[in-house]
Parts: sequence; C-alpha cells; structure tokens
Amino acid sequence: MDAGLLQQMLLGALLGLSVYLPLRCGQLSLASPGFYAIGGTIAALLSTRLPALGGASATYPISSVLLEMGLAAALTGAIAAAIGSVVLRLRGIYLAIATIALVEILRVITLNLAITGGALGIFGIPQPFNGPEGYAFFTAALLALVCWLCDRLERTRPGLAMAAIRDDELAAASQGIDTAQIKLLAFVLSAVVAGITGVVAAHFLNSWNAKLGNFDASITTLAFVVLGGSRTWLGPVLGGLLLTALPEVLRPVGDLRLIVFGLVILLGPLLFPQGLISPERLQSLGRLWPGPKRLGRQAP
Amino acid sequence: MPTELIQLLLNGLSVGSMYALFALGYTLVFSVLGVINFSHGAVFTLGAYFTFLLIGGNVGSNGLLAGFQLPFALPFWLALVLAGLGSALVALVIERVAFQPLRQRGADPLLALITSLGAGVILVNLIQLLMGAESHAIPTSSLGNLPAALNIGGAMVRTVQVLLLAIAAALVVALTAWIEGSRSGKALQAVSEDPITAQLLGINSSRMIQVAFGLGGFLAGIAGGLVGLSVSIAGPYFGIGYGLKGLGVLVLGGLGSVPGAVLGGLIIGLAEACVPADFSGYKDAVSYGFLFLMLLIRPQGLLGRALPNKV
Amino acid sequence: MNRRSRQALAALVASGIGLAACSDQVASGPINLSKGVPVGAVLALSGNANLYGQDQKTGLELALASINGTGGIGGRPLALSIEDSGSDEPSANAAFTLLINRGVLALIGPTLSQQAFSADPIAQRRGVPVVAPSNTATGIPEIGSFISRVSAQSSVIAPLSIDKALKRNPAIKRAAVFYAQDDAYSTAETVIFQQALTTKGLKPVTVQRTQLNDQDFQTQISAALQQKPDLIVLSLQGVDGGNMVRQLRELGYRGTIVAGNGMNTPNIYPICQQYCDGLLIAQAYSPELQTPANQTFLAAFKVAQARNANARNLPARAIPPQLLAQAYTALQVIGDVLRRLDQKQPLKTLSVAQARTALMAEILSGTYQTPLGEIRFSKGGEVIQKNFFVAQVRMDPGGKTGRFALLP
Repeated sequence: MDAGLLQQMLLGALLGLSVYLPLRCGQLSLASPGFYAIGGTIAALLSTRLPALGGASATYPISSVLLEMGLAAALTGAIAAAIGSVVLRLRGIYLAIATIALVEILRVITLNLAITGGALGIFGIPQPFNGPEGYAFFTAALLALVCWLCDRLERTRPGLAMAAIRDDELAAASQGIDTAQIKLLAFVLSAVVAGITGVVAAHFLNSWNAKLGNFDASITTLAFVVLGGSRTWLGPVLGGLLLTALPEVLRPVGDLRLIVFGLVILLGPLLFPQGLISPERLQSLGRLWPGPKRLGRQAP
Repeated sequence: MPTELIQLLLNGLSVGSMYALFALGYTLVFSVLGVINFSHGAVFTLGAYFTFLLIGGNVGSNGLLAGFQLPFALPFWLALVLAGLGSALVALVIERVAFQPLRQRGADPLLALITSLGAGVILVNLIQLLMGAESHAIPTSSLGNLPAALNIGGAMVRTVQVLLLAIAAALVVALTAWIEGSRSGKALQAVSEDPITAQLLGINSSRMIQVAFGLGGFLAGIAGGLVGLSVSIAGPYFGIGYGLKGLGVLVLGGLGSVPGAVLGGLIIGLAEACVPADFSGYKDAVSYGFLFLMLLIRPQGLLGRALPNKV
Repeated sequence: MNRRSRQALAALVASGIGLAACSDQVASGPINLSKGVPVGAVLALSGNANLYGQDQKTGLELALASINGTGGIGGRPLALSIEDSGSDEPSANAAFTLLINRGVLALIGPTLSQQAFSADPIAQRRGVPVVAPSNTATGIPEIGSFISRVSAQSSVIAPLSIDKALKRNPAIKRAAVFYAQDDAYSTAETVIFQQALTTKGLKPVTVQRTQLNDQDFQTQISAALQQKPDLIVLSLQGVDGGNMVRQLRELGYRGTIVAGNGMNTPNIYPICQQYCDGLLIAQAYSPELQTPANQTFLAAFKVAQARNANARNLPARAIPPQLLAQAYTALQVIGDVLRRLDQKQPLKTLSVAQARTALMAEILSGTYQTPLGEIRFSKGGEVIQKNFFVAQVRMDPGGKTGRFALLP
C-alpha cells in the first residue's frame, strides 16, 4: 500500500474520532468538518504568510507545524466552548442541522474573505516532510496519541459520565452528573481533534480552500463512526481507516467503484447495527487472544 | 405596490418554489419515520431522468445505455405522472432495503441516515453508469406555446417558475386535505405520533410507512421532472445540490409539516432574494443564519410539532 | 471492558499501519515496458465536473489510437492508464500518487485548476512531468519545473471575445458581469474580463455573483437588467452558465452575451437549448484550421463519431469541442517527446527517474504541430500558442444541438 493513501486513511480516522466524541454522549454534532476547515485555514495562513515560521532549512520545520497545531487547538477549542454552550441545548436532529448550518456559514465567510484567497484558496503550502511517508508516521503518532487519550478518557469519570448521558440523560442528571458540562467537554475535545487534523491535512494537501470540510464531508465522516461503531474509540478509527481506503482500493473495479462504495455504506449498518467494533465483540475477540497477564482475570 | 417590491417577491418565489417542491416528499417521510432520508435527492434526480426518457429523450453518447431512446414519446404531463410512479416504486424498494430491516430490529435511527445515504450513492452512480454524465433538456416547448416570461406590474418572472409555484401550492392543499380529511391520512398521522400505539389501535404501521415512502417518492419524482423542466437536468448529481438547502427548508418550516415545507422554501427563497447585490456572496450565509436562529428560538420550526429525540 | 483485548487489537491495527508504510522504490528502478510505455491521465470522470472529464477521455483515446497506429514509441505501444479524480482535491491527489507509484513517465491532468493546485505539487516533488490539458487559472506552471500546460490561460484568450463583441457592435456602452463566486476558474477569469472591459472604457455597470450550484438566477438577472446592459459577460461553468443564458433570454435580455472558457463545451446545448444561439466564446481551438495535424485529428474524430453513431443510433457530433482537442494535444505532445527521447536514449536503458527528468527537458525544448496549431512551451512550462479564435454558437432549428461557428 502507498503512504499517501495511508495518510488519507489516518486523517479519516482522526476525523472519525472527532465525530465520535460528542456522539459518545449522544450528541449528533456534525460540526467537525467546520473545525477541520478552521485548523486547515490557520495552518495555510500561518505557513504561507509568516516567513519567520519557515526556518532556514529546505523543509518546513516540524516545530512550526506543532505551533500551528497548538494555535488551532486553542482557537477551535475556544470557538467550540463559545458556541457549544448555545447549540448543545438542542438535541438529536436539531443539533445536527444547527451544526451543519454553522459549518455552511463558516464556508461562506471563508469564501468571501480576501485573506483566505476566495474560491482559489491558499496554495503553495510549505512541506514539513519530503514525502507522504513522513506525513504518515507523524499522523500515525498523532492518531496513537489521540487514541490513547480517548482510551484514558473512557475509563475516567467524565468518560463514564458521557456513556451514562448517552444511555439516559435524565437518569444521568439525577445521579448528580453535570450533563451540560460533560456535553460541552465532549464538544470542545471534538473540535480540538478536528482542528489539529486540519493543520496536518493543509500541509499534506498542498493547497486549502473553502470547499474542504463541507456538508458532504460531514455525512461521510458520520458514516465512519456508524460503520465502525460508536461505543468505543476503536470503532471510528477502524471505520475511518476502512471507508477512506475503500474508494481507492476499489479503483480496479472501474466504473462500478462508487456503486460498490454505496453498497458498503448501505449494507454495513444492516449487517453490523452496532458497528464493526462493539464492546461485546471486542470481548469475544479478547478471549481468542489470551495475553499472559490475563490468566485468572475475568472481564467485568 | 412598487415594481421593485413585486420583483423582489417574484425573485424569492421563483427560487423558493423549487426548494418547496424538493422539500415536500422529504418532509412526508420525516413526518412518519422521524428519519431524514438522504436518498431523496437521488430519487428526485431519477424522476427527472424518467421524465426525460418518457418524453422521448435520447440518452446521448455516454454510459451503457448510450443511444437508447424509447420507441414512443409521451406528452409532458403524462410522462411526469408516470415518472412520479416510477420514482415511487424505487422509493419503495429503498424503504424495503434500507429502512425496513433497521426498523424491524429497533435499531438506532442514526443508522437509517447512513443506509439511505448509501442507497443514494448507489442510485446516483447507477444513473451515471447507465446514462453518462451529460446534461439533458426537457424542452421548453413541452408546455405548449406559453410565453417564456410574464410581466407582472412591470416585474418579470419566468412562466415556468409561476407554474412550479402553483403546482407546489396545489400539492400542499391536496396533501393536507388527504392527511386531515381521509381515514388513511389520519392513520398516517397516528403512526407518526406513535407507531406502537397506532399498531395497537389496529393500524398497520408498516403499511402506512410504505404509503409515506411511496408518496414521498412520487412527490420527489415529479419535483425532479418539474425542476428539470425549469433548469434542465445537469447530470446524475442534479438533485444532490438541493439536499442541503432542502434540509434547511424542512427545519425552518417545521420537520414533518407539509405546509411548513412549502412555507420554509418560500421564506428561504425570499431571504436570499433580499440580500443586496453587493453582498450576494453572503446569500447562503443569510439563509443558514436564519435557519440557525430559528433552531435556537423555535426548534420545532414554524409549523412543526415538537419532536424530541428523533434523528 | 477488557483492557488487554483492546490493547491487543490496537497493537494489531498499529502493526498493520507500520507494515503498510513502505517507501517508493519505483523511481530508481528500470521502466516497466512489458505492457508498453507507461503514461497516466487523471480526469474528473465523476462528481460535478464529470462532463469535462468525459470529453477529455475521448480526446485522449483518439490520440492514443493515433500514436499506436503509427508505430507507437519505437515499436512499443504507448500504454495509457486513465484514473478518475472525482471533482475534489483528495481524490485527485490519490489518483496522481497511484499512477506515480505505478511508474508512469508522465501525467496528463487534473481536469480542474483547483485540483491542480493540490495534486501538481506531488508530481513536482517526485519529479514527474505533468502536461495539463484544461487548467486555465493563473499560476499553474509556476507550481514547479515539472508542470506544463497546453491550455492557454484565461488572460490570453478571454479578452479576444470582448474585442470581437465590440467590433461587431461598436454601440455597446453598458457591460454587466456575472461570475460564480465559489469557483476557482470563474473568479480568476472574471478578473481578466473586467480588466479587459475597463481598458475598453466599458467599466462594468454591475457585477453579479452566483454560486456554482445555483440553478435559478432570477434575482441576479433582474438586478442586472435594471442597469439596462447591452453586453453581458459570463465566467461560469457549463451547467450554471447554460442556465444563466437561458434565463437571461427568457427574462427578456436581447443584447450580446460573451461567455468564458467554462462554457466552451457542447454540453451547454441541452441546457440553454435555442437560447444558446448567438453566444460568443473565445477558442483556443478551431476545427477549421487547415493544417495536416488538425486534419488528421478531425478525420479520426469523424471516424470515431460515425462508428459511435452507427452502433448507437445517434446523430454524429460534427465538430470536436476545445476540451477534447486540448486533451488530444496533451497526449500527442507526450507521444512526440517520447519518440524523440527514445531515439536519443533508448527508454530501456533509463531508470524511471532519469526518463522522467529527460522527458520534461524534451517537452520544454520542442515545437509541436498539433490540432491547436503550432505550439511550444516557455521555460516555465506555459504554452505558447499562435492561433486563437472567437466562435459563435449557432443552434439548429428545434434547439436540440448546435455548433461553434468561427467568426472571421
């Protein structure tokens, strides 16, 4: 397999995680592509307009990419905190549509501002790596870090509270969980993950414009989570990896490529209503995979 | 009324009538299932292609069916109704494949978003495979010798847009009369309130859902044919462009409300028409901003009932 | 929840990723000539730009048949792989990478300028020559030393049609301009049009912005018509442009309409139907050019059309559109260059990377007799073309089909 495709898949997995986080507490937010677009725009602007970030060597310094990621995380987090407190009063489909509306408004503004290059966008974004391999390693490390954090989160109190809200928000509230606070936390984390993903994507794609991170992207990303499974972080990761790879892997099929892709999206939820990865399936898989320390220890 | 004001109104109604037509079938399925059917745009496209073929159109030089032409050519209105029926059949198949299995299992409604998206992707690419990517015209002469545009108090509007608006209005009246006035319409309402209670009351919920899908598909099909008459069929992605706006229209008017869909379409059309030319780049931001505010103030939309927890 | 099983699975996924990331060994190896001389093309065959891609595909197929029918590359056939780039950037990048990894010596594409800004840097970094058949935005060859194009940029062609419109009707006083504000090509071209108008003393009386996916333009049209324009200049793509023309005419506009390169395709006929008639469009290709290269191309096009028409009960298209001719030209240039290179340094003695570098140098140094007339390239890869034309759309009675008739 090729490293460029792998890089696309890793970005897909990160976006999947971003949609997954609010969904874990039952919030169908489709704002992730918007935050992804903000991250990408920040990276494109800083790296093309600020010569100071470029450094002396031929490749763009990784420290500058990390700086962009830090800024993107701060900005997307702050925006998410501000709008989250307003939109998270909405539920279900209303939240989904409100977030789609916000993403569209953002797209129109990006398109109209001179600084973001209008429809042409920003191009000639400098490269921190010489090839897709470098990107893939960097993004794999980033994905591993985000996965690890998600895994930690799912075991700690806020993570458990998220699952409780998803199962029954009223019951969760009556147990003393500050549901508004927890939902906002998930929304902000989701925005931060999407924002830093956008930074990496902008460098990788060489150019950035308002079309990236649109409505279609929202829905495809949701498919990552639904197909992979929305109850544990491994689900969206697997869904993102597989569904991003699928159209490329299907190239030999020729004209039937996108029809087969549609079939997979259609049949996936029918065959695996819980997604490919569910906690139950993981457990049964764990039984087939006896680790040395597992002896004498039963799954709770 | 001054000419400028009439023109503004006509501008809004012109684009709004297309949004309204698109949203009618969309909202019907939502009202019963509480699920957004992402294959709606594809069925709309299919209706336009059916109409085109039935009036004797030639597929053109691409796709597996290149050069294909039906041996007969129907008048436009008959072709439109048949295209609606064909689209209804396809919508029923989609219901059977993408919705029914999930409903029977009581699965998370979120899944239906994705399965219907999959059905839409299949449909659009199947059209491309068979018919190629070319654009096709439903000739303007299909309507007979109507003038291309009407002059109303000094303001101009294309005749076909007036026709679209009239048909959208007639459909709303007919649908509302059916839903409010007939036994089956009442049954549909009962199912949309609560399918299980409806079942207990002796209503065949599954059948009513099929009725809604069939009717939704029919409405999508004729909407596709009519919009195709107004702006030609721009290839297999024709209906997809309306999907997002249509969603906005749906929410604004009230999810699941049939008159709301038309009202929402016209309001968004008017809002867009009111954006001054110098800021026309922000036109879409205005309509989505409007939608966003609406959601915060009155999530159930203008004419909708509150529907918590539906996806 | 079982902690170990999760960790095990995570490790499995991670190791899969690690195994997958292997680096590119193709470039340093010999050229794989087993199926012919490998060349790739990346076209928008799906998504909303697919109508351009299909014309381009036909053009490439004609050029391929012509090259391989006249001896190929030193006796070997040219092996062209065409990949779909969708109409978005990530797919174009993926298709570029895929073909580069397969060891193609040169690439044709991508269809859209917006895709080129994203995908061309990949080819540049990996040293693969690109000949763009349809990118007209400013700044494409400037992406790098391996990027060239046969499609003349808007700044060269667009003003010609304005000149022609004014020559035909010197009384024109009030120009209105429309462009799709969310489209890279349209926004770039409208700047050129507006400059050209201003130099002619016709500063636009109104500039109306539309969106690529808009289909009803009543609002913009009624605003523009209030200014009583007698010249309307459109920078729109095929679908929205076709609808714009139809609605302009239906709403009573009778003056001249000049359209840009995006509407330079017969695919607009079904959309604006009889209303397309009279549209002025500048052309980088003329079917009436009396050169051997163009006659060969026309003959091949007619044979293919007739074959299609007979087999499929279709009216044959009489005249090839510009996009098709440009795609043909792109592959012809690559074919010519490969032949020259193979004579100088037999391809089988070169590594993929050497052949790619040599090929790029050859592309820039040659002069080519093509259907577009004689063309060559500037040092930076910009096409230098002698002949440009302005055509007027003439629709057949009934408004089903038409042609681009060249104006003297």
